[in-house]
Amino acid sequence: MIPPDLGAATVEHLVLTYGSLFISALIALPLAVLCIYDKRLANVIITIANLLQAIPSFAVVAIVVPLMGIGFEPAIVAILLRALLPIIKNTYIGMAEVDSSIIDSAKGIGLTQWQIIKKIRIPNAYPAIFAGLKFAAILANSIAILTAIIGSGGLGTIIFAGLSNLNTDKILAGSLPTIGIAIFIDVSFSIVERLISPSYTAAKRK
Amino acid sequence: MGYLDVIRTVWENQDLAARTLEHLYMFGLAMLGAGIIGIAIGIIIYKRKRSAAIVFNLLNVSETIPTLALLVLLLPVFGLGSAPTIITSIIYSILPVARNTYAGLTSVSSEHLFVAESLGLSEWNILTRVRMPLALPLIAGGLRIALVFTMGVVTLGGLVAAGGLGAPIQTGIQLYDKGIIVVTGLWVGLLAVILDAIAGIIEKRLEVRR
Repeated sequence: MIPPDLGAATVEHLVLTYGSLFISALIALPLAVLCIYDKRLANVIITIANLLQAIPSFAVVAIVVPLMGIGFEPAIVAILLRALLPIIKNTYIGMAEVDSSIIDSAKGIGLTQWQIIKKIRIPNAYPAIFAGLKFAAILANSIAILTAIIGSGGLGTIIFAGLSNLNTDKILAGSLPTIGIAIFIDVSFSIVERLISPSYTAAKRK
Repeated sequence: MGYLDVIRTVWENQDLAARTLEHLYMFGLAMLGAGIIGIAIGIIIYKRKRSAAIVFNLLNVSETIPTLALLVLLLPVFGLGSAPTIITSIIYSILPVARNTYAGLTSVSSEHLFVAESLGLSEWNILTRVRMPLALPLIAGGLRIALVFTMGVVTLGGLVAAGGLGAPIQTGIQLYDKGIIVVTGLWVGLLAVILDAIAGIIEKRLEVRR
């Protein structure tokens, strides 16, 4: 039996997942560019990112409660705390690891650092950036279920309702769509990644 | 009440010592399972290279499934408690271990192999005495990723009556008791960071030895 609120919960879940992914990208991408300008900032951020990645998501979701209470916004923040790091890390590493001879020749023809970032570092980092976004999206989808315990709404609410009285129908109704969404994220990001990557490799060969 | 009092009250009332032991017990079993199965799969697909793509695709898909979704889907089969928690941990942790084992075994330099063959080592001996020891740092790296995954899933076990440190976190959220949330949340976070750091040191040591 399908719970009547499944449609609304799915929409809430998608808003949580993609909303927090969008905000993460908005914060993470400029931060990664700043890291290119400032190596010390880069070291600090990468160290923190590696450290935080080890902390269980459930602990991250819980710690948000004493700081912000419960509800939709605290849930978004909890997801952000998790999704930001892989985007920053991948974007930064992708941009930093561009072949130094390309950077040297760009400097040689007089490009400014901003031009080098815009025209060379970012396009060359596309595959890494997309891998980071994909990973962050999959994480966001996963944590958006968990945040139902702090009142975010979404598909997790149905799962937790099913858990409380071991109602298999509700457990299935809540969890199967999240798996569908995960696979959709994986496939859609891979397609975009492939669409973008050849153009840059072709350009590189010219 | 000072901070230390809050910590002591939560530690005693929530019996965090026992919860930590439960947590580490599930963690240890899951890591053992993931290690054995992951390394075995890594060796098998190394032996049968054609199966590698299929196995990795399968494992990659399982990796995208939200942890909590997989955990609750196993409940009708395994019931509540530590069994579904440990099995979910293992399913997630197989990929990094198998992938790194496979990568480690295939990345051995041709000079090493040439010397081994010249000495007349059998294929099995080359695998156990040359490839495996050289692959050790990468395998350790895979186990370190598995460690992080396993800590995450075992903490979720609190939601399906598996005990461990996730249980007091859930209690804290339900009672809206900030003391319990902060103390347990930070403790499990600290535990994860410390274990990861130890694994990092071991990984570095192996790297140097190589």
